[in-house]
Amino acid sequence: MKNVMGLVFANIYDSSLGQLTNKRTQASLPYGGRYRQIDFTLSNMSNAGIRHIDIVTQYNFQSLMNHVGSGEEWDLELEDGGLEFITPYSVGQSNTFRGKLEAIAAISDAYLSRGKEEYIILADAAVICAINLDEVMDAHIASGKDVTVVVKAGIANGKKQLDLAVRLDENGEISDMAVDYAAPESCLASMGMFILRKDLLLRSAAECVSRNRYRLEREFILREWNEGRLSVNAYEFHNVALFNESTEEYFRNNLAIIDRKVRHSLYRDGLTIYTKVRDQVPCYYGENSQIDDCIVADGCVLLGSAYNSVFFRSVKLSTGASVRNCVVMSKCEIGIGAQLEYCILDKDVKINAGVKLIGTMEHPVILNRGDVV
Amino acid sequence: MNFQKKRCVAMLLAGGQGSRLLVLTENTAKPAVPFGGKYRIIDFPLSNCVNSGIDTVGILTQYQPLELNEYIGNGQPWGLNRSHGGVQILPPYARSKKSEWYKGTANAIYQNMAFIERYDPDNVLILSGDHIYRMDYAKMIRYHEEHDSDVTIAVRQVPIEEASRFGIMNTNPDGSIYEFEEKPKQPKSNNASMGIYVFKWSILKQFLIDDEENPNSDNDFGKNVIPAILQAGHKMFAYDFEGYWKDVGTISSLWEANMDLLGTDPEFNLYGDGTAPIFARNYALPASYIDTGSKNINCLIAEGCEIYGLVRHSVVSTGCRMGKDAVVEDSVIMPNTVIEEGVIIRNAIVGEGCVIRRGAVIGGAFHDGEKRQIAVIGKDHVIEVNQVVKPGEVI
Repeated sequence: MKNVMGLVFANIYDSSLGQLTNKRTQASLPYGGRYRQIDFTLSNMSNAGIRHIDIVTQYNFQSLMNHVGSGEEWDLELEDGGLEFITPYSVGQSNTFRGKLEAIAAISDAYLSRGKEEYIILADAAVICAINLDEVMDAHIASGKDVTVVVKAGIANGKKQLDLAVRLDENGEISDMAVDYAAPESCLASMGMFILRKDLLLRSAAECVSRNRYRLEREFILREWNEGRLSVNAYEFHNVALFNESTEEYFRNNLAIIDRKVRHSLYRDGLTIYTKVRDQVPCYYGENSQIDDCIVADGCVLLGSAYNSVFFRSVKLSTGASVRNCVVMSKCEIGIGAQLEYCILDKDVKINAGVKLIGTMEHPVILNRGDVV
Repeated sequence: MNFQKKRCVAMLLAGGQGSRLLVLTENTAKPAVPFGGKYRIIDFPLSNCVNSGIDTVGILTQYQPLELNEYIGNGQPWGLNRSHGGVQILPPYARSKKSEWYKGTANAIYQNMAFIERYDPDNVLILSGDHIYRMDYAKMIRYHEEHDSDVTIAVRQVPIEEASRFGIMNTNPDGSIYEFEEKPKQPKSNNASMGIYVFKWSILKQFLIDDEENPNSDNDFGKNVIPAILQAGHKMFAYDFEGYWKDVGTISSLWEANMDLLGTDPEFNLYGDGTAPIFARNYALPASYIDTGSKNINCLIAEGCEIYGLVRHSVVSTGCRMGKDAVVEDSVIMPNTVIEEGVIIRNAIVGEGCVIRRGAVIGGAFHDGEKRQIAVIGKDHVIEVNQVVKPGEVI
């Protein structure tokens, strides 16, 4: 898909992820034992042959830049196009953006209008999925509509606040649309992915921002659709899509990957998820280890027992330690006889021997990067 | 083109057929044989080069080079994708006058003298592509320079009763070599050559040219070039290396070297002290899944695996799948192999990309006092349902 560029917003739900995004963007949150959330977004685009991706990030972007680098893991280290970071310092006047439209308008001249691509895919790194964007693009063209929004059933539950929710009629046409709304189960949730012509987006962003409208979903898509000036197509995605928009969802969805169905939906043939390579040795399992239903990355040394947990790279689990229903990020060390249940251990956490920490599924114990307990 | 001078260029001999590795090298050059769950043998000398600050490496290939060429690629996984230097694959090629295969280790270097000359190095480091070890070549080169040595040969102490299997360096108290004996019947010392040489390029170049002109020469470093340099009275020193080193040229040594990675205090620690990592080409694979019905005891399991069975004292490589009630003991499973339910594998090496169907039995238990027999399954084989592969059998 040489004719499409990608635009990724890296900081979308930072504020609802609490301490996990203190020092990183939402996009660089670790996921699935060896990934960062943005790996899925970038891989989906790269797998569809997109060779020009801009990443808009506003703060805390050091870890993201370190992870993505020049984009070579996604074949984006190119002379023409390739990968570009857009930080607040990349454009003159406005330092932070109040919404996606404002960001798009601000970077329109310097970045977006330069590329030759006719189409643009907007995405963020909040929804984890493996999606064939070629198919979405084909569906968009076939629909003849101005915009395609990718939607997912089963997310709306009357409680979860959705950025954009749609209701479809029996023909799959959008019959109703709402923003910032805890939509009922009968609605489909937007996955934050939109395809449209780039010139339409840039023109609309400029018009909206000149009238002090800066929110993409509310002030462009919903408003223009309501007034009959924008036709919107919904593409329903049928595979697994995990919305990581809060700490609780993040915890639940990290453990979800232990489930075979979820795993096999996220790691499918032809939709390889790429990530930054780190040269770690294979995981060593000790003489008396007992590891059940776990995801384990390279570099771990597991001597204790674990159940229903995710181990990122280079975790040391000492003899007699027990870890149940936990997310353990890279380079954590868990001392002899320690007991952990329902915890999220950010990177480099050290749990001393004999320590006992027990949270719940709804309220996991969260330890900050580098904490020593 | 005017190339910047390099202090040392490494030449890695990767052309050997490795016929003692049987089916494992049927379609694969020995240095490209998988090792340790996610590596290939060549990763060890290559990573040693990088960790020693050597950024110019020529890899001499000849036998089944395709897989090795693809694996090395532009050298990026080892940080050897340099604009000046970096890694270069050097196959034999047709020259204007004549074209010929590499006749021996020395001839392989002789044929690539032009490559070395481009960098105008002081020293040339000659390495083998079939050894598992971690070594700081910079220390050896420093020793070589401090002694103003013409040739420095890395040696390790072997038990004297095994010395007759090696090239033995007999040295003076100052470390200088006065005699070299290839596989001596009555060894005078136990300083075994590791096949790692540092030559002054000016000396090596002259002797390579002389050796080429000698029709009776086998064009081999150990047999011809080194004895000739010694006889001519040049300064030759032995450099003592302490630490793990294993030639993995046979099935049993390859199996042993894999087993040496196991344990909480392994014979060979892949991680080391963390300052000299072993680099490898990594493939995009998810973290492994370990099922509740599985049991993993004293083993290495690399990424991209799904493990439902029992793994004991074994190395399971990237991208393997292992079904329920399957047992893998004292074995090496190479990448991307599928082991179906109820399969039993003991004392075996199973090659890359194999499918072992339900209920098959490969190899067998080994009792004290018996000679351990390693069953070997070559790359991309399918072992049928309930098929039995006997201990020591090679398929």
